[in-house]
Amino acid sequence: MAWGLCLTLFQVQAQDDLLAQLEEEAEEQTRYTIATFKGTKVVNLQSNEMPAEGVLQYTFMHRFGAFNNDFFYNFLGLDNAQVMLTLDYSPYDWLNVGLGHTGFLKTYHAYAKYRLLRQSEGQQSSPVSVTGFSAAYYSAQRYNDDLPRNTANRMRYVNELVIARKFSSDFSMELVPTLVHSNLVEEVSDNNSVFALGVAGRYKITNMHAISLEYVHQFNPNQYLDPATNTLKNYSNNLSIGYVIETGGHVFHLFVSNARGIAEPYVFAENTGSWADGDLHFGFNISRVFTLKKPEKLR
Amino acid sequence: MKKTALTIALTALVINLSAQKLSTRSGKVKFFSDAKIENIEAVNKQVSSVMDLASGKFAFLVPIRGFVFEKALMQEHFNENYLESDQYPNATFKGRIANTEAIKLNKNGEYQLKLKGKMKMHGVENPFSEEVTLTVKDEQVHLHSQFYLKASDYQVEIPAGKKDNINNRLEVTVNIDYDK
Repeated sequence: MAWGLCLTLFQVQAQDDLLAQLEEEAEEQTRYTIATFKGTKVVNLQSNEMPAEGVLQYTFMHRFGAFNNDFFYNFLGLDNAQVMLTLDYSPYDWLNVGLGHTGFLKTYHAYAKYRLLRQSEGQQSSPVSVTGFSAAYYSAQRYNDDLPRNTANRMRYVNELVIARKFSSDFSMELVPTLVHSNLVEEVSDNNSVFALGVAGRYKITNMHAISLEYVHQFNPNQYLDPATNTLKNYSNNLSIGYVIETGGHVFHLFVSNARGIAEPYVFAENTGSWADGDLHFGFNISRVFTLKKPEKLR
Repeated sequence: MKKTALTIALTALVINLSAQKLSTRSGKVKFFSDAKIENIEAVNKQVSSVMDLASGKFAFLVPIRGFVFEKALMQEHFNENYLESDQYPNATFKGRIANTEAIKLNKNGEYQLKLKGKMKMHGVENPFSEEVTLTVKDEQVHLHSQFYLKASDYQVEIPAGKKDNINNRLEVTVNIDYDK
């Protein structure tokens, strides 16, 4: 009986399916998740995506004037649009460094994005990708006031920790604990450090089109004086809804957001726009990539 | 005693069998598309393959994510929009090579052989037959083949706007060095 079983087993092995064997082996290999988001930003939040090693990326971001500010007179807000330009490069697969400028408070910034963990299946598996983003911002704005506007006091810093997961080929989400630090704040009672948590998701409608949604909640928001009502109000939390269109070399990201400033500190911790008041802005991000160094594996 | 004898016999058989089985995990597949606007080339060096010289049974597996393109964005589009590697992670072939028993591993030589079986890619399976060249050099076996595949045969759609960038007919080159 036992021998019979043994023989049967052997026979099964002898006429074994070679492909099944290969498929089994392939299952065990580590497979990294790719394309969790389209583009390196969701709207204002960073996504977990980074340009590949040897790739130079140029992004062009626009925020139009508000819906509730003479929208048609200002040609749908185009006449008082804010612009931010960034240029970044990935010297390694896990590191991306860049520079940027925006007209809002004449801000220059430098940033680094670094991959800490990649979502994967198989031998080495991880349910999420973890990516860090750190940036320093310098505002060159001219002021006519008594505050000490030295270099240190013109600095702001943002750190984001992007924890992302691709749930299916269509649906991805991320949680982004965020810290915004300003060296100078307006009132003594203001917080220099504002803690926030961002949540963002994207859903693919077709292979080339997707919708995206993001919300960034501040836990200790600072206040500002609203000129319209002459009362103190909390800075708004950022909420944006976007539509992503992908073409060959570009990613177009169109959205509506209550944030006017484009640089992260202004979006997350100094945003006065409110959805309830119609203080909304059309905006778009466009990115273009250039391969400066061909992948080694190609040779 | 009998049991031991059987075990030895079985082990010997298994060893014998595995001796005729060639395998590797680092085979190469390259594809090339020449279209009006651009040429696209991608290389995959993670191809696994097994060949049983006694029976001629042959299989290979190409992990779609293993294809490396010159442009990373192209690689992403290939996976996301064309081959849909989340759903269909591998391209596979399963079949037979005729007359492999004629191959002498202890003698250098070249053999032109017929390959026949089923190619599966993007969830679509098609019958496939092609000539392959097997080369034996210093007891190492090398398999080479070059052929054309049509993307449309595997329901990989090239949108009208991309017809000048991507050729529906792809030249595929397979080079597999089996482990000694």
